[in-house]
Order: sequence, then C-alpha cells, then structure tokens
Amino acid sequence: MNDPHIASAYDRDLEAIQAMIMKMGGLVEEAISGAAESLETGDLELAERIRAADAAIDGLEERVNEECARTIALRQPAAGDLRTILTVMKISNNLERIGDYAKNMAKRTGVLAQMHPIDGAGGAIRRMARQVELMLKDALDAYVQRDSELAHDIRMRDSDVDQMYNSLFRNFLTHMMEDPRNITACMHLHFIAKNIERMGDHVTSIAEQVIYLVDGEFPGDERPKRDRTSYEKVEPQP
Amino acid sequence: MNDMRPLERVVDETDIKFSCKECQVYYGETHAIRDVDVDILDKTVTAFIGPSGCGKSTFLRCLNRMNDTIDVARVEGTFHLDGEEIYDPKVDPVQLRAKVGMVFQKPNPFPKSIYDNVAYGPKIHGLARNKAELDEIVERALRRGAIWDEVKDRLSEPGTGLSGGQQQRLCIARAVATEPEVLLMDEPCSALDPIATAQVEELIDELRQNYSVVIVTHSMQQAARVSQRTAFFHLGNLVEYDETGTIFTNPKDPRTESYITGRIG
Repeated sequence: MNDPHIASAYDRDLEAIQAMIMKMGGLVEEAISGAAESLETGDLELAERIRAADAAIDGLEERVNEECARTIALRQPAAGDLRTILTVMKISNNLERIGDYAKNMAKRTGVLAQMHPIDGAGGAIRRMARQVELMLKDALDAYVQRDSELAHDIRMRDSDVDQMYNSLFRNFLTHMMEDPRNITACMHLHFIAKNIERMGDHVTSIAEQVIYLVDGEFPGDERPKRDRTSYEKVEPQP
Repeated sequence: MNDMRPLERVVDETDIKFSCKECQVYYGETHAIRDVDVDILDKTVTAFIGPSGCGKSTFLRCLNRMNDTIDVARVEGTFHLDGEEIYDPKVDPVQLRAKVGMVFQKPNPFPKSIYDNVAYGPKIHGLARNKAELDEIVERALRRGAIWDEVKDRLSEPGTGLSGGQQQRLCIARAVATEPEVLLMDEPCSALDPIATAQVEELIDELRQNYSVVIVTHSMQQAARVSQRTAFFHLGNLVEYDETGTIFTNPKDPRTESYITGRIG
C-alpha cells in the first residue's frame, strides 16, 4: 500500500491533507496543555493566547473538508485511499471539537482566577488533561504509523480518564455541600472536568478511525466505560 | 441493520447461472487463464476488471465459446451453464450463443436496416412464425434496448446511420432479441460519450431483472456503478471476487488494492 499512485499529483494531494491533520493535531495538543497550565497557574495571558489560537484550528478543519471534497470529486478514491479520506474528515472534526473544549477551559480561567481556589483541583485537572493529551499524541502516532494495535490500546485507556472524572465529580460535590461559597468555582471546574472527559471520547473516536483505516472495519467489541457520574448521588452529612 | 441496506444490492447468492471450475486457456504456448474458479450469479451484473492482458476478455469469451474461433486457443476446465457443460461435444456453439449473447466494444451493426439488424437473430433461430410475430419481437427488443422511441419512425433506415451510442444500444437490442439468458459485454461503453454511457449503464441495470449480465470494463468507476459482483483478474489469475462495495472499500488482496487505487503494482 505504500506504492505511489501512477498519478503522482494524487499522492501529493493526500499527503497535503494528512499534513494538515498533523498540524491540527499539534495545535490541539498545545491547546490542551496550555489551557490546563493556565488554569493551574492562573496565567491569564496564556489563557488568552489559547482562546485566540482556536481560530487556526477551525480554519484548518475547514481546509481539510474542502480538500477532501475536492479529492472525492476529482479522484474518486477507492479502498485504502477512500478510507484515508473518510477518516481524515472525521479526525479533523474530532480535533476541532477537542480544540473547542480547550478554548472553553481557557475561557473559564478568568473567573476561576478571582475565586477562592479549590484544594487540589488545579493539579487534578492538569493530570487529567495530561492523560488526554498523551492519548491524543499516541492516537496521532498510531495514525501516522497506521498502527491499529496502538489504537486499540488507546481505546482502552479512555476508562482511566473516566475514572479521574468520576473522582473529581464526587470531590466537587463534596466541596459544594461543605460550603456554598465553593459552588461557583466548583461548577466551572466541573464543566472543565466534563469537557476533558469529552476530549477523551473524541480521542477514542480518533483511535477508532485509525482502526477502520488500517483494518477496514470498526472495532465491534465493547470497551470498558467508567463514567458512572450519571448514577452518582452524594447526600449531605446530617 | 441488514434490513436497512439498499434493496438493489441484494442478490440471490444461491441462484448460480455459470459455474466455472479449474479453467485454463492457452494461446499456443501462452498460459492466458490459470486455474480460474468462479460462480456467476443469475439476475446479477458481474464486472470483470483488471489491467490489459490480464485475461478478463479471454475468460469472458470462454463463456459463449468465442475462443473456438481462434485456432491456437485451447480451453480446459468445466464451464457449467445451469448445470450443463457448454464444451460438451453435443452442444451446438451457435445455439449456445443464442442463449449467451454478446455485445462488443465497438458498435457493429450489420449493414442492413435497423429492423433487419434486430430481426436477423430471431429469424435464423426460427423464433417467429410470421411477420406480425417478428414485428413484435423487434419492437420488444428495441424497447429493451432503450432505443425504440428514437428509431420507431425509421426502422427501414440503415443501422449504420445511427450515432455511436444509438448503434451500441441497437447492438444490445439485437443481442436481447434472441431471448438470451446471459449477456456478455466486452467494454460496451469504451467508444461512447458520457451521456450514451449513462444510457447504456441504465439499460444494463434494467437488463439485470431478466438476465445474468457479465461486463468487462476498463473503467473501474463503471464496474462500481453497474455491478453487484466484481472479479479482479491479474496475469491470468482471478485474484479476488466479491461484492462490489467490498472490493471498492476494503479489498482483501494487496494486488486488488493497488489496481483499484491507481498504483503501480
């Protein structure tokens, strides 16, 4: 499959589109780590930079869509080429969503900087963001290397993120019940944690695209889900 | 979920028209077809694709014994049409070709009137008892060839006076006039413009209601558009034979992948 096309311009088109995905991936990784750092350190300048950088990610997504539409219309890709185009479109869509979540995280930094800090929250969120960022990095590596085994592994790692979210969820609930003055900060922090959990889901989706790209089939087997917050109940202490 | 698949794709996999086993074709010393096993389904369009010289036309020509006309060609293996061996000495090739019709790359109408082009086959096979019946057969064939409306007022004009696309549809009408059960098409659209091609493709899809159609084509997009089953030939071997959608999204053999994605290989 690494043979070049007879039409070499076709190869150049596919390479250019995939280079855009890699560029997007790099920007999104930076956005995640930057947003988490700005949150932990209260660095408003960094937060503002992360917010502003999202436009570049959105712009790339639009270009990827245009180029893919062009390739479909002009080249009628088949088999592996078709799967490349289809997965590129979905991956860019996933990356764009992750970028939006990072931007949202950076937006909330401003409010949170004015609040009484919640013990350990900044560090916990940063660890969670770090986990997702590593998963994303591996997912993009899996894409470049066409490594479906690594992609399977990434799918399984999403449950760690879910577990981190579970414990933060309980933690925030407890803080809010202890002292109502924590509610504003905890609500913001909860949205951030939830957004990072969603980022993990998008990374998982990218990993699944890699599996489809390489194997021609989506993974059918169930994977462990550990997000149990939908059933979570914490009662106030009497 | 399977119920939601477009109905058109569903073909009866048990309804086998042609069952070919261990087929070999030699042109003198050249081994042109090697160990090809294939079951061709009824009421299905089967596309043969592959690079030039891969044997797809040769194999197609085995199916109505057109290779008999080539002195140096030698055909081995079993070719069962509805369970009957077509290479059995008792089989009359002329009768066989009435059952297994053929349309060629270049439209080749006889230098006769449009009417006579279509009436010739039914006449020599004695399918009509009188002029009225023959008229009926000709009209039905021309309608099936999707050309009736264009020629009904000038049936006595020469078939060679029609446009290329019309000539090809006339040849298809001529091929279906003898009520064949299988229609073989060897690159039927390669001499046609895109509109005439679309008309012939639409016609092929309609013919599938009644016939087993086997089409050899150099256009992979055409194979993808008209067929339900695709066979990929390479260097005389049948490399892969599967549902057309599967061949074009997730082929199993790297040679198929290389060919359909336009790579050297």
